[in-house]
Amino acid sequence: MTRRTAFGLVVILTIVSMLAACGPTPEPQTIVQTVEVEKTVVETVEVEVQPTRPAGETIRIGGVGPLSAPGSVVGGIAMQFAMNLAVSDINAEGGVLGKPLELIFADTEGLPERGAAAAERLITENGVVAITGEYHSAVGLAELEVCHEYGVPCLFSETWSDAITEAGYMEVFRIAPASSMNSRATAEWFAAVGVENVVSIVENTDYGIGQDEADQGFYEELGINSQEVFFVELGTEDFLPILTRIQALDPVPDAIRVAVTGETSFNLEQQMAELGIAPSEDTIGTANQVAIQPEFWESVPNGAYYVFSLVGLPPSLYNDTTTHVAEAYSAQFDSDPPSYALEAYDSIWILADAIERAGTTESTALIDALEDTDITLAQGRYYFEYTSKNPLPDNGSVPAYMWHQWPDPAVLLLQYFEPNQDWKDAAVIWPEVYQTHGTTYIVPGTTP
Amino acid sequence: MTIPILWLVLAGPFWAALGAWRLPRVYRKKGLDDAPARLIGGLGGLTLGPFLLGPLWYFTPDLGRWYWGGGTGILAAFELVGLFAIMQSDNLCVTNASYVANQAANGLTIGFIYALMAVGLTLIYSVQGIISFAHGQFYMLGGYVSYYLLLFLSERFGIEVNPIVGVPVAGLVTMVVGFAFERLFLRPMHLGRVERAGEYAILITFGFGFFLQYTALAIVGPFSQKTGTYLQAGSLQLGTLVMIPNRLIAAAVGIVLIALLLYLLNRTWTGKGLRAVSMDKQAAAVTGINPLRMNTLAFGIGTMLAGMSGAALIPVFTWVPWVGMTASTRSYVIIVLGGLGSVPGALFGGLIIGLVEALGAGCYPDPSKGAAYKTAFGLIIFALMLLVRPTGLFGREP
Repeated sequence: MTRRTAFGLVVILTIVSMLAACGPTPEPQTIVQTVEVEKTVVETVEVEVQPTRPAGETIRIGGVGPLSAPGSVVGGIAMQFAMNLAVSDINAEGGVLGKPLELIFADTEGLPERGAAAAERLITENGVVAITGEYHSAVGLAELEVCHEYGVPCLFSETWSDAITEAGYMEVFRIAPASSMNSRATAEWFAAVGVENVVSIVENTDYGIGQDEADQGFYEELGINSQEVFFVELGTEDFLPILTRIQALDPVPDAIRVAVTGETSFNLEQQMAELGIAPSEDTIGTANQVAIQPEFWESVPNGAYYVFSLVGLPPSLYNDTTTHVAEAYSAQFDSDPPSYALEAYDSIWILADAIERAGTTESTALIDALEDTDITLAQGRYYFEYTSKNPLPDNGSVPAYMWHQWPDPAVLLLQYFEPNQDWKDAAVIWPEVYQTHGTTYIVPGTTP
Repeated sequence: MTIPILWLVLAGPFWAALGAWRLPRVYRKKGLDDAPARLIGGLGGLTLGPFLLGPLWYFTPDLGRWYWGGGTGILAAFELVGLFAIMQSDNLCVTNASYVANQAANGLTIGFIYALMAVGLTLIYSVQGIISFAHGQFYMLGGYVSYYLLLFLSERFGIEVNPIVGVPVAGLVTMVVGFAFERLFLRPMHLGRVERAGEYAILITFGFGFFLQYTALAIVGPFSQKTGTYLQAGSLQLGTLVMIPNRLIAAAVGIVLIALLLYLLNRTWTGKGLRAVSMDKQAAAVTGINPLRMNTLAFGIGTMLAGMSGAALIPVFTWVPWVGMTASTRSYVIIVLGGLGSVPGALFGGLIIGLVEALGAGCYPDPSKGAAYKTAFGLIIFALMLLVRPTGLFGREP
């Protein structure tokens, strides 16, 4: 069949069909047929998604923290232990709203994407009424977006980055110090002991970068010259390339500021001390706050005269709650509780207190109750100064990170002055009001 | 800026790419050996551009001679250093010779330490034909064996011994574990009882690595540990060089163990048997060598070296159950750089990575980012090597 024939046939068929349609109407015929019709109704209904909250026997709180590498496993385990301790203490006193409290702890592995997934799972699958904990700022920043999306309160107990509370979300609260608070204490101490040139070694994470930005602001304000900043990856073992650079600096820095966490900080601090860079007669060496851990001396045997920060109060100022947590922690880990364990313990109590005052686990009421927090726990008296009832001033006189931020975390600077010294025997050198040895700095080789 | 621009026009990356791409085709067209043409073409184009590529193209000399590779390599190194000096005239690596010497000495020291772990991995690959993804965990295990041995001697008998004692013991333990693992899980693969042997080897070594790591985490916990140091000393001043004695001792352990391995492979019947199996299993079997036994031996020696490098380093670096992850990744880079299956290649690969990381971090123009890019510098060399010589420095042609 040629193309022309085919075309002709199609045209003829079309014409015949049209003529048939125009022809006389045939006699109507009645055909009765029963047809079963299955009708599918598709309807779009917009429903506001509410987190699953089973009206069960318990009130569930979500805990988040790193229990696997690359996160700080030490930090996560300490926080999990302290939270469980708080839950068992609360339940021993009758629970909350007449129900037992239940902690569901999720491992965030120190990875932001895992943290966000864990927070979402806790809210949508486990039906937690609030989330608390977290050790790493980068992970906290991912989690707070989930809390904000679902309108569930998040109380961060350890993440330091200013950005955590700077976001200004109603759902986000923090009881750990912001990086700027830590920076201020260290920078003011540097100024007090006459530091003119400082070198910073900073981990390449949200915590480290945030900490350094805050440091630089205070250095500028106090007239301290930031000679050099070195960013390093967490997990680095060999620091000699940058330490050799520091050795070649002219003038020799007056202080080296370390904003590196975990075992990475131990490697850095030991190599710095072994090379004789710091702590030395010329250069002050600061160590990360994990220097209070007992393994510090095993990893940094040359660590005498390092200065390190302590969040919270020294044992001499412990209250009954702190002593209780310290005893339980010591029985489990054979060491004193670090600040993040105490904060994790307190965070559960703060949430329990808010639920009790709100009389419900409904998010809005819970957030409202959290804003009115006023309770004294292991780390002191907790309250949030800048809330929806007392907003941040528009003129910028108060930093944005103060939103839903506990304003009073104590940041002390301590200094070891003997090898293998217990951190409780280290000298408190700053702020002056807490000084234990009457000095703001112990020069290496001397005794206070 | 005139010289760098001139260099980019008359030599540099464009001519390097052209030389590496075109010269092997010219050699092939003339029926000549084109194996070294890509490397020499790349280096020749980089250093002298058309002035060297033209004559090579026209005369097509025998590039297999050592002076072609050596000469163009040295010229490229000098040219790049010269360009760096012109463009970064105030950089410490240009103005301070003792600084460069210190960085290089530190790089070489850490390079020997890197190499020790990598030689075990390359030995396993050379004989077994598989990459062990549990190598980093054997390294971790070696460190812990040394740690707990020293702790046991100290607490049980009150004997404080030097951490060097832990090195052979750790080697023994990791070798026994390696033997057992090979016999139980890898031998069925060599006997043809496992389908898809390549994938099986990856999965089984990967799985065993996880098992070791998480078992260690469950037993010893996440807290960092470290033995005492080899010497109670601070830094060591050698002229203008400032070194850490404990690190030098760890590097010395690495040098001695690599020397012993080379002696074993080249001077003993067992070593020759291992080399024979690595070259041709069937031919080796015909001469009376049992390839299965050699497989087990190679795996055991490989894991022993990983364990000994762990034990040598636990007095230097802080130890945690996941310490092997970074170390093993670096070892994979080193053995590919040096040539899969080549022990001297692993040694040179380790030294190159050590040097490149130290000088890269030390000389990078922006000091704040130098240390953060440390690993990337090694990976750049790795990528370049794959580009111009996919078999690595000492690798055999497949």
